[in-house]
Amino acid sequence: MLRPLAVLVAVLATSTAALAADVEAGRRKAEPCAACHGPDGHATVPGTPSLAGQPAFFTHWQLIKYRDGRRKDAQMSPFAANLSDVDMADLAAFYAAQAPRARASTVDPAKVETGRPLADRYHCTSCHTPALIGQQQVPLLAGQDLQYLLRLLHGFRNGTASDLDGTMTMAAKPLTADEVEALAHYLASLTPR
Amino acid sequence: MRRTVAIAISLLLGASTAWLVPASAQAPPPWKQGQPPELANSPLAPVPQPPAPKAPGEIPVDSIKLPPGFKASLWAHGINNARAMTWGDKGTLFVSSRVAGNVYAVLDKGNAREVKTIAKGLNLPNGVAFKNGTLYIAEIHRITKMEGIEDKLDNPPAMTVVYDTLPKDAPHGWKYLAFGPDGKLYFNIGAPCNVCIPPDTHANISRVNADGTGFEYWAFGVRNSVGFDWHPVTKELYFSTHARDWMGEDTPSDRFDHAPKKGLHFGFPYCHQGDIPDPEFGKDRACAEFAPPLIKTGPHVAGNGVMFYTGSMFPPEYKNRAFLAQRGSWNRTQKSGYKVMMVTLRPGDVPKYEVFAEGFLSGDQPWGRPVYTSQMKDGSLLIADDYAGAIYRVTYQK
Repeated sequence: MLRPLAVLVAVLATSTAALAADVEAGRRKAEPCAACHGPDGHATVPGTPSLAGQPAFFTHWQLIKYRDGRRKDAQMSPFAANLSDVDMADLAAFYAAQAPRARASTVDPAKVETGRPLADRYHCTSCHTPALIGQQQVPLLAGQDLQYLLRLLHGFRNGTASDLDGTMTMAAKPLTADEVEALAHYLASLTPR
Repeated sequence: MRRTVAIAISLLLGASTAWLVPASAQAPPPWKQGQPPELANSPLAPVPQPPAPKAPGEIPVDSIKLPPGFKASLWAHGINNARAMTWGDKGTLFVSSRVAGNVYAVLDKGNAREVKTIAKGLNLPNGVAFKNGTLYIAEIHRITKMEGIEDKLDNPPAMTVVYDTLPKDAPHGWKYLAFGPDGKLYFNIGAPCNVCIPPDTHANISRVNADGTGFEYWAFGVRNSVGFDWHPVTKELYFSTHARDWMGEDTPSDRFDHAPKKGLHFGFPYCHQGDIPDPEFGKDRACAEFAPPLIKTGPHVAGNGVMFYTGSMFPPEYKNRAFLAQRGSWNRTQKSGYKVMMVTLRPGDVPKYEVFAEGFLSGDQPWGRPVYTSQMKDGSLLIADDYAGAIYRVTYQK
């Protein structure tokens, strides 16, 4: 009971700070998104991220990046091309209001244990919060899809993933390929709470 | 227990034990770098940039407080992350952004403003400057231009490279860009960190000819200046600088500086605010080696835009005063800055430093952040607010 209330309060606070976003309008507008991102943003397709519980600023910024062509994806880019600022705010508020759940990724326990200390060592927890649930413009990572985490983290490490302000590219650069694997497995193994 | 298991497992697997070195071995994100261990759990963090501009009804422009006779109104809105401004020859206002990645053209249609996005998807394009029909844009890694842009706002010309021999570092890599009285393009190359010994190529103000030739450094030891202007009479350069974070609530002060000649060193990272040696990097250097600030503008105030007023709408004492837009603090429990200050230079005396516009905080939270100013033809003053995505116009009537 505490959790939905906390989420609601967080959503209200965020929406007054940005735009008067409408969660219910967002629910309707999110119907076409469900084909890949699942009902209420709980995706099951490997490689496709779950959006439930993502901070509103994060989802909104990513949609803007798709619309502006800074982030590119064959599926996502056409969807984002025609969204208005209000559509984006509504969608972001809707997904932020959904309780996150861990994906059913198959993780390698050894990699999980190798990855566990890396989240602190590489300061992931500085921005993504100690529980790795994200905040503001910074995404929720705990329990995210393994394939998606691997793709993004390799992309940041190689300097090919779109970055809002360069912080992630800098953070991922010193990682080895093995450490990317380990971190992704660790993040995917977490339950968002 | 968990840690022990982790160590045991990784040892059993023959995995690298490199992670056993202390956490400080890996650089933290730039905003957290230099944070002392005792503040590791500090809740202070940069104010996140909202992803969209505020609607006009959400912008309490009447709460902007000004000296008697001055009035602020909402001049333009819906300009996501609106930052630096420059005027085209034909009356177009060009507006930059930072994380939004856009450059805008704002057209004054009498009672309303029309906003066009003329470039998007750019790499923190904070700098815009205009000369002889051409718009110059500074991103982190390059300076480009659009020729004849004012006649092609709906079909902007390709951006052609002016200069791209620039560092690609993201921290403090975004640039202010302006033409000096010598016709050269001036811009900053900030320190790629909160505090560090920067590479020789960083922590400076530089200049290049408008055709991209003749690059040279102008000022050294400048952590990050994203605002400068030249005095209308002396033609000398004045600039704002953000000081390092995590050295205290009230130290060090940000700066307002004077660089009348090439080659001065302003102290970063060895000495802050002219008189405080850096605890880590200042040990072998003396503050007396470096140019002191003209004004200590206050801790964490984040002075951005600097602009000398040359108009005739404001009272005569405003002529040749500098406006200093302060975007406001994050690394301080009590907010500081969030104001437009004014600086009156007085030959042979200390400058006068006083508040011009304030009221951008609602309680302890900003509703807006004044980041740059620009002067209109009629002498009124525009204030860009990157947080609300809006531009305010300040007018004066006796």
